[in-house]
Amino acid sequence: MGITLRAFIRKELVQTLRDTRRRVLLFGAPVIQLTIFGLALSTEIKNIRLAVFSRPDDAMFLRLAERFYASGWFVPAVRGPGDDPMELIASGGADAALIAPAEGLRRSAERGSGKMQLLVDASNASKARAVEAYSKSVISEAALREYGTPLRTPVRFDVRVLYNPAMRSSLYLVPGVMGMLVCLITIILTAMSLAREREVGTFETIVSAPLSDLEVLLGKTVPYVILGLLDAALVVGAGYMIFGVPVRGPLWQLALASMVFVVATVAIGTFVSTVSRNQQQAMLGGFIFLFPAMLMSGIMYPVENMPGAMIAAAYLDPLMYFVRLLRNIMLKGGAPGVFWTDVGAMALMALASAGLAYRRFRRTLN
Amino acid sequence: MTSFSPHRAFAVARKEVMHILRDPFTLALALGLPVMLVTFFGYAIDFEVKDIRLAVYDRDGGPAARRLKEIFSASGYFRPVEPEAAAGPIGMLDSGRASAALFLEPGFSRTIKGGGEAPAQFVLDGSDNSKAAAVAGYLPGIAGAARLRLSGPGGGEPFYAETRFLYNHELNSRWFTVPGLSAIIIGLLAILLTALTVAREWENGSMELLLSTPVRPLEIMAGKLVPYGVLVLAGVVFVYLSSRLVFGVPFEGGHLLYLAACVLFITAALSQGLLISVLARQQQVAMQFALITGLLPSMLLSGFIFPVESMPRFFRALTMLLAPRWFMAAVRGITLKGADLSELSEPFLALGLLAAGMLALALKKFKTDLEP
Repeated sequence: MGITLRAFIRKELVQTLRDTRRRVLLFGAPVIQLTIFGLALSTEIKNIRLAVFSRPDDAMFLRLAERFYASGWFVPAVRGPGDDPMELIASGGADAALIAPAEGLRRSAERGSGKMQLLVDASNASKARAVEAYSKSVISEAALREYGTPLRTPVRFDVRVLYNPAMRSSLYLVPGVMGMLVCLITIILTAMSLAREREVGTFETIVSAPLSDLEVLLGKTVPYVILGLLDAALVVGAGYMIFGVPVRGPLWQLALASMVFVVATVAIGTFVSTVSRNQQQAMLGGFIFLFPAMLMSGIMYPVENMPGAMIAAAYLDPLMYFVRLLRNIMLKGGAPGVFWTDVGAMALMALASAGLAYRRFRRTLN
Repeated sequence: MTSFSPHRAFAVARKEVMHILRDPFTLALALGLPVMLVTFFGYAIDFEVKDIRLAVYDRDGGPAARRLKEIFSASGYFRPVEPEAAAGPIGMLDSGRASAALFLEPGFSRTIKGGGEAPAQFVLDGSDNSKAAAVAGYLPGIAGAARLRLSGPGGGEPFYAETRFLYNHELNSRWFTVPGLSAIIIGLLAILLTALTVAREWENGSMELLLSTPVRPLEIMAGKLVPYGVLVLAGVVFVYLSSRLVFGVPFEGGHLLYLAACVLFITAALSQGLLISVLARQQQVAMQFALITGLLPSMLLSGFIFPVESMPRFFRALTMLLAPRWFMAAVRGITLKGADLSELSEPFLALGLLAAGMLALALKKFKTDLEP
């Protein structure tokens, strides 16, 4: 590496980090975001507002309602005395309503019917599904308690959750959010920074400097690889200190995977910048890549759930491999066989996009 | 030239429209994003977790064990895979070849036949948030089915609840994601595009030029914002049309109310974009600001995917200050529930206040920065 190239990289880094606002955004924002997402986002549905409707003397039903509220999933909905269950849900005052049989739950159960009605607001379908599953388990539990022996459960599941026994959602989310943040920062910043030179006209100055094409390209991209890696380390550190997210696998695996991934995303960002004329285009072009990459990555829902063609496309998504690797290294301890195939796939993508970016970059230079 | 002149604002707007139209690539990208989001959420994404690979280690081999396996595969959520002796259950979960494993010990069938309660160990891959919670949620249902099928007659429940899903009987994921996309699109386009376009004028120094003309700051602002407002509204109309025509999502409420919610939210978003651009003055800084305060809250803290009610108390309070959360509540209420203004008074009031507040803040900052 020549002295000129080193000086160039240093100049780029200084230029990016000189501005306080930029330093805050580059290093403060990922930590804040990680904290917010780790604390606020939970895949578990809680605080379901349930309204119950029965005759005031229906003791068995009221005991059942108490069980609902004691389960931790449900909270009582605020309602007036004359409210209608349908209207209460329509106005958003409750998420679900449980309606007792008119004759009272005990009499109805002893007649052999025992049918209650559960109305669920399904305007959020996944939430509705969870509400139904939780209600069923509360009701079966209650039936077991009320009627004791006649109801046998033949199978009892002892559930053991590997890698995350307490099912803490911060443990789940940190690897995914880390992949997302690193991807976002590197792609958009690289794309916009190169597009900026072109927009402002300083690109010509750089080109006229005594540097080869490759040196110009490296000088503009290496700083972003460094910044991306710093951010990755920062997010892992914050995840460990704030949420106690472990790194169970070897650190070199984490470093190597991050390195390969950041090279791939910086190369993609460079490619985006070569096809855009100004920063707005670079930003939008970055998002055209980012959205599918995030949606197909398996951060929010499993890849296997998607239709066949999308699964095939997901195998071309570097973020999918990176998130899988992060979960594997941080939570599972890094199984070596899986590690090398995933890193290899990412390295191939990094090489291909770097080659493509270099070719396009040279064409735009000349 | 003391008062606001619609004529001069219109001239700035015309210039901005010409800017947008002269650059068809940007326009295509701006309109391509909604198309892509709708395609993804409409076709690819299903939040119901299915086809979970389950490795069954059956050391019992009896009839009850066989029936339990049938119950698992008949539920539609699980797909049994052949256990690999060499890897072992933990190895299969480590490498991701299975997401869950079920262990049935010898004597399982005998215990059940004798009327006892047989334990079954269920091991779950907890490294994948999208799966683990869902799988754990399915188990009570499987246990219920096992009760009915394994204990024979007389094992029914003394009481039960019949569920009616209101507004979305078949629990179609699309019905709630696709209409919600309008919030994402506004959060993305309105905030990012305006933040960038005004920051560009600062960065290139053309803002000084604009200011030295007789056009007043307020007119510059109106002229710059309105074209983007129209562009964003076009994105919303696209979401509306595709959700109704392509995905058959019902629209139960009033269109005027829907439009009002969009206009309020777009006003809030555009003002936020303007405020960011005045504070940042550089496109890259503006972009990052917009991302953090605009796009991510609209995607993650609005209730689009993660329900607001499940968040801790502090964050639930924080979302009260976020326009996307109220917009999402209004849109879901209007499209699926057919709610009217009296039922949606709370989200509308909040949206109106936030839009007015954001506009006032942006105006004040813009004016103090520009006027001598």
